[in-house]
Amino acid sequence: MTRFSRRKRDLDEEIEAHRRMAVAERIARGESEPEARAAAERAMGNLPLVKDVTREQWGWIWLERLGQDFRYAVRQMRRSPGFAITAIGTLALGIGAAAAMFTVVDHALLRPLPYKDAARLVTLEEEGPGAKNVWNAVWVDIAQWRSASRSFEDIAFSSGMRGRTFLQGNSAALQVDGQEVSPNLFAMLGAKTALGRGFIAEQPSFGAVKNAGGIVLSNAAWHDAFGGDRNIIGRVARVNDEPWTVIGVMPPGFRFPQSFRGAPVGPLVWVPVHLGDKDTGRDYKSDHYNVIARLRRGVKIEAARAEMATIQKQVAAQYEDPEERVDHSLLDVERYGDSLIDADVKKALLALLAASGVLWLIASVNVTNLLLARSMARQREIAMRGALGASRGRVMQQMIVEGLVISGCAAVLGVGLALGAISLTKSVAPINLNVDFSTHLDLTILAALCGLTLLSAVLSSAWPALMAVRAPIEPALKQGGQQAGSGRRHNRLRSGLVAVEVAMSLTLLVACGLLLRTIYTLRHVPLGYRTDHIVVANLSIPSWRYVNKSVNATLYQPLLERAQHLHGVQAAGLISEVPLGKTFNIMLTLRMNGNNISAALKTATPDVQRIFGMKMLAGRFFSNDDTPISQGVAVVNPAFAAEYAPNKHDPSSLLGMTVWNLREGMPARIIGVLDNERQKTVAEPSQPEVEVCLCQITPASGIYQPSTIAMDLAVRTDRSPSQMIPELRDLLRQASPELANSRFSTMDQIVEDSFGSQRLAAHLLEVFGSAALLLCVAGLYGLLAYVVSQRTRELGVRIALGAQRGNLLWLVMRQAGVMLLVGVFIGLGLALASGRLVRGFLYGVKAHDGWTLAGAALLLFASGMLAAWLPARRAARVNPMEALRAE
Amino acid sequence: MKSEHEKYRNRIDLLQGTLDMLILQSLQWGPQHGYGVSQALRARSGEVLQVETGSLYPALHRMERQKWIAAEWRQTEQNQRARFYKITAEGRRQLATDRSKWNTMVAAIASILEA
Repeated sequence: MTRFSRRKRDLDEEIEAHRRMAVAERIARGESEPEARAAAERAMGNLPLVKDVTREQWGWIWLERLGQDFRYAVRQMRRSPGFAITAIGTLALGIGAAAAMFTVVDHALLRPLPYKDAARLVTLEEEGPGAKNVWNAVWVDIAQWRSASRSFEDIAFSSGMRGRTFLQGNSAALQVDGQEVSPNLFAMLGAKTALGRGFIAEQPSFGAVKNAGGIVLSNAAWHDAFGGDRNIIGRVARVNDEPWTVIGVMPPGFRFPQSFRGAPVGPLVWVPVHLGDKDTGRDYKSDHYNVIARLRRGVKIEAARAEMATIQKQVAAQYEDPEERVDHSLLDVERYGDSLIDADVKKALLALLAASGVLWLIASVNVTNLLLARSMARQREIAMRGALGASRGRVMQQMIVEGLVISGCAAVLGVGLALGAISLTKSVAPINLNVDFSTHLDLTILAALCGLTLLSAVLSSAWPALMAVRAPIEPALKQGGQQAGSGRRHNRLRSGLVAVEVAMSLTLLVACGLLLRTIYTLRHVPLGYRTDHIVVANLSIPSWRYVNKSVNATLYQPLLERAQHLHGVQAAGLISEVPLGKTFNIMLTLRMNGNNISAALKTATPDVQRIFGMKMLAGRFFSNDDTPISQGVAVVNPAFAAEYAPNKHDPSSLLGMTVWNLREGMPARIIGVLDNERQKTVAEPSQPEVEVCLCQITPASGIYQPSTIAMDLAVRTDRSPSQMIPELRDLLRQASPELANSRFSTMDQIVEDSFGSQRLAAHLLEVFGSAALLLCVAGLYGLLAYVVSQRTRELGVRIALGAQRGNLLWLVMRQAGVMLLVGVFIGLGLALASGRLVRGFLYGVKAHDGWTLAGAALLLFASGMLAAWLPARRAARVNPMEALRAE
Repeated sequence: MKSEHEKYRNRIDLLQGTLDMLILQSLQWGPQHGYGVSQALRARSGEVLQVETGSLYPALHRMERQKWIAAEWRQTEQNQRARFYKITAEGRRQLATDRSKWNTMVAAIASILEA
């Protein structure tokens, strides 16, 4: 039984006892029983009502009062819809922006990874001093860590399958992410299969064979390739033509490795690592693995770092090459979750979260200002209620409830705005940023939202409420509050708030301005190649079809031929990775003149020069005269020349030197130096790079087959990409069905995408900055309009006494100017102080760039003065007769 | 119905303070149930004050919530189970304040009437 119903029964009994005693006494006094009963009941009155009123005393009354306040607040809002709409809209903007950013940040940074006790998972990577090169580890090193360390429960490892991986399912082959994993990995992650037994947990060793030949499919791979067939376990699945027995299917959402927190899950397959001859050494021929470990319960990551630093010294000592010994001398132990997010993106997201917080603050200040204005207008009402006996607490509660109602409505609207903003961001965010912008709201977000709403309500209404109830009652009643002395103090306060708004808006505007200038500068960096009218397809090459075959003869040559003959195509070429493509990166250590040199290796066809309009610093690019049987040729980039040319100031001194053996007995000589600088990012010059001619690469070209790992088809065309892409896709499908899945883009888009976090930050700051400007101008306008309407009589008197209308205009403008100047002054200080936050994103512009600061300040000042001009003009047009009569 | 409800409420408001003081005073003489309180007030006032049930019980329950009085179920001499109220220390303090306020007011009104 509930407390309430027990008390209710108690009350019934109590009243009944009263009745009985009254009746008994009357009978004792000699009345007959029916008489006594009737008389007693008459005397006690309407019993249900008595009980009702009694129950009201039990303390539920505050709930009822809250209800009253709520109804009153809604009535107030209905009575002045303009005020309600402004306040709710303003707050909704602030709450929406903050909620949207928080959603994104929560997904990207705060969520734990979907593994058992994920906080204890760490990655281990070998590196040299300064972390210039980070290395995956060979088995011999891993084995040593496993036996020597005490910090970890278990150490597991994995590596991606070589080349592109295709799972041949019921119909077409499906491109998947294939991983070779150590047999203890899944158990270490705490991952369970949805179907089948999965991998048997077994410590990795050369004899580990319990899982040999077994393959585990991700849920997506199972659905896409096998239609979700529940009888899949024990069947054969072919990966790149190699047969495996399906031993497990993972539940939906499971993913390893995580490409990025919460990024969409593509199809994956896992097969056991087979340790063999390739795992006995420490050289480049050995397999290298990504290592992930689980810290023992209670072991701090710092302790693990300290232990591993000692162990790694012994490990590094076993590298024979002195350079390699240095390169492997340190071990980086990092939380798995932290290792997944780019430091750049993390900083960008946090800075944007801060920016959205500032916008929210501006919105709250604006609403505070609105409520202050209204509490002034309602001073008489509040004073009247005080005079009638309402306590200050009671009046304050009522005003805070009003604030809550406004914030509540704003929160609902804000959620809508947030969802809209997120889907907008999704379309703006560059592909390579790979942040998950999924839009479902969950408990964390809702809790954060409720917190924001409450905070907004308290921030925006508590102060005005306090100001209102502290005002003395008497003068307000006497003078109607309109021209009361406390108005001046109020106005000063409100001016202060507007100045604060101006200052915060300026901070956002400056940040926005700096990023816009960054983007502008980036767009105008001379790239060294043309980007217009180029359609690019990142080919999804079914590598396994071309093992021991000449992919040139069977795929690329016919493909180029047909692409060149498409309507509107001026030139078609192939290159391992178009500039800024971020799809492929292989660093090679080459021998040149007896020295070890390190450079990225690419391959290209002659037409690439024409497509990208590349110029040469020295020598020539590939031509159609370069054939599989002619002299081996290579082209290098300026970074290569700067680093390795015998004469640093003369790139042509490189010409004729040998860099690489295309195959046994076929050295590649440098025939040209390209004049292009921006290969990896627009902001930085390239790393050294060597390009070889695609036609000279044959199956005999050794271990490295650049032609089947990655290839971009680039086409120069006059036609629009939307027309060109379907035709190219058809052409690719005819060449090989898997190629139809190739990713298409345009070169312009690739350049745009490469701006990554800057572009995201700039776009969001444009939104935040313009919203802040709008709010700030609205706040200023609102205050001045209010002040002018309050001072109508005073202005009328001034005119009647002979003041010039220009003087009155000046009076109001001066007030606006002071607020703006104070705000701008503080804002410049804030902007300089917060410059540190954005410095990392800037390119070609300093955080305290004078032009940007001045520009933003000027924009804000001008918009503010424009907003002030309207009320000022109204002040100047006051008709003295009307103004005096109005009182 | 609604207006009747209001009537009861108004009556409490009207008597509030005074009624509280009288009830507290009657509980000074010893724990008593609701009926006992009403009878005692009637008897001590020389049959002038008839405290209505609709005022008495809301007042008792309110004062219980304010911790001026405490309640427990007990048997009466006639073997009737009833809810007995007794005054708390806080209630005694309240009574003292109420009394001094009342005396001040009576004196003030008297001086006006006699002027």
